[in-house]
Amino acid sequence: MPTTPSPNPAEPGTTGTEEKVPFHQRKAAKVDRLAELMGDRGDDGHGAGIWREAFQRMRRSPMAITGAVIVALFVLIALFSPLIAPYSPTSQAWGNEVFPNRNEFVGPRGENWMGLDHLGRDMFSRMVIGARQTLLVGVVATLVGFLFGAVLGGTAGACSVLGGRWGRQVDNVVMRIIDMMLAMPTLLLAVTVAALVGPSLTTVMIAVGIAQIPIFARLLRGAMISQGNREYVLAAQALGVRKRKIALTHILPNSMGPVIVQSTLTLATAIIDAAALSYLGLGNPDASFPEWGTMLSEAQRFLSSAPSLAVYPALGIIITALGFTLLGEALREALDPKLRK
Amino acid sequence: MLRFIVRRLLQLIPTLGGLSILLFVWLQRLPGGPEYALLPDDATAEQRAALRRSLGLDEPLAVQYLTFLRRIVQGDLGTSLQTSRPVLDEFFLRFPATFELAVTAMLIAVTLGLPLGYLAARKRGTVLDFAAVGGSLLGICTPVFFLAFILKVVFAENLGLFPSAFRLSPGLSRTDITGFVVLDGLMTREWDVVTDALAHLVLPGLALASIPLAVITRMTRASVLEVMGEDYVRTANAKGLHRTTVRTRHVLRNALLPVVTAVGLLAGSLFAGAVLTESVFAFPGIGSFVYAATQTRDYPVLTGFILLIATMYVFINLLVDISYSLLDPRVRAQ
Repeated sequence: MPTTPSPNPAEPGTTGTEEKVPFHQRKAAKVDRLAELMGDRGDDGHGAGIWREAFQRMRRSPMAITGAVIVALFVLIALFSPLIAPYSPTSQAWGNEVFPNRNEFVGPRGENWMGLDHLGRDMFSRMVIGARQTLLVGVVATLVGFLFGAVLGGTAGACSVLGGRWGRQVDNVVMRIIDMMLAMPTLLLAVTVAALVGPSLTTVMIAVGIAQIPIFARLLRGAMISQGNREYVLAAQALGVRKRKIALTHILPNSMGPVIVQSTLTLATAIIDAAALSYLGLGNPDASFPEWGTMLSEAQRFLSSAPSLAVYPALGIIITALGFTLLGEALREALDPKLRK
Repeated sequence: MLRFIVRRLLQLIPTLGGLSILLFVWLQRLPGGPEYALLPDDATAEQRAALRRSLGLDEPLAVQYLTFLRRIVQGDLGTSLQTSRPVLDEFFLRFPATFELAVTAMLIAVTLGLPLGYLAARKRGTVLDFAAVGGSLLGICTPVFFLAFILKVVFAENLGLFPSAFRLSPGLSRTDITGFVVLDGLMTREWDVVTDALAHLVLPGLALASIPLAVITRMTRASVLEVMGEDYVRTANAKGLHRTTVRTRHVLRNALLPVVTAVGLLAGSLFAGAVLTESVFAFPGIGSFVYAATQTRDYPVLTGFILLIATMYVFINLLVDISYSLLDPRVRAQ
């Protein structure tokens, strides 16, 4: 079989490539020192070691680099969008040049790099300003899911590991609630929340975030329980360290890996789900406001006559989501020794 | 085996009970209850109070919950504000359409995804592997409604290969027996209905299949890769077992376990994904009705449908667990 020998030559291969690149070594050493400094802040060297190792592994992965470059570009554009956008995204300055009902659209030209949309607004400016909205929605939604999920999952995990019989009861109750939330498909959950609260950008962020809570909670709880069986927890308990301290400073930092991976992946799904909610008419009711999801659903009316109007925001969403997904997957691979072969 | 199933069924009771509480509390917390949705904006406070009384909204919460629960158990999920018909009837009227669509999507995803993932793992590092991994990443990152629109414009409107909307071409008569168009056509031997219905399922089916296809491909690939590195596979090869035996009995059987779980979870989420696909293709199923309900704030439909879909999801998970225990004897022993 060609499969069995593959893991063995891979290991000397990777160390070989490390020796072959003295060119980057000075820079790499600098970054490593940074990672070391950051790592030293942790209470125990164990967790820092995992992260440093993962970081080094990611530096060699083309997947991670592609993802990181996309994400960095996207974040930069989003942060500095008012400086980059040449025109106002809402001004219909060229409204007299575009006639959607006669299928007359203006494509890319020197003045407008991506052409004009169906109301004569500068497409490039709308895309750039829209990036900021998209980032905002993604980050806030992920934060909502992360924070509430981490509190629920962390409580359940800590109670299960350290709380004895009473703690396992708490864990049981919390997990039943999480299971109920998991029983609802995420998009439907988001649609319902959004429909109940009424359409707005805040609704979208909250709805998408709520749908992510059970995933974060399950992940953190699972990681904490598996960490709870480790010797260092037993040692800390034997030394008489207070339970709250064990949970917060020993178990929690070592359990963050899967949660951080999930946050990166959630940023991608949050952006896609937010676009879907915008398409369903649950996003910002003000359609003149540039947001990629709203732009995409608006442009769909002209898909056969002016496909580029839909293609720009669609590509924006796809590439950004791809960037976060690649970064998240690479991080997962770097942190999980089982996937590394 | 029977004990395992019974135990899992008993575990459903607290989950479903909790789900009903969750939905009930959720309905209570609504800003602007049904008295605002049902009455015009200029209704007086007395009119609102009268409506609240007639709907039983002035009773204690516990009493309201028990009434709510009793009605659910009796199959009364309220009346749709859009159509003034019982929510349950609306659900069952539209269920066959979405079911057909979901089955089509799942068939596409499984028949393409499993072999693709398996081949990608076997031919790791080749162009095929790269295409499968890249394609599935792209599939996950593409908004479903955009893909649906592209499919509709390209294959229906420009090339005219497939119809762009509805379940059947207008003017085609069919005998309604079960509500499942394809099944009815097969039963009555109306072959034109069968082919027409199938043609209507292709594009929405493909759009709906995109995410499950991507997930199944990636999961199969990862799972097969992991199993192929196991010691028992090396042992089986070293024993001189036939390659096909090793691949089917040792690799595939073990690699498919996590994939089965994923298929089950994806099957549940298809009903949610149908909201997007069906609204693009004007497919008259559960999804487009939920879409209409979100537009008109049809609360009984939203809560009723979410309860029904969640219940279905929970039962699909149960089926997954049962099939899991059939595939993996270790699960049964726990």
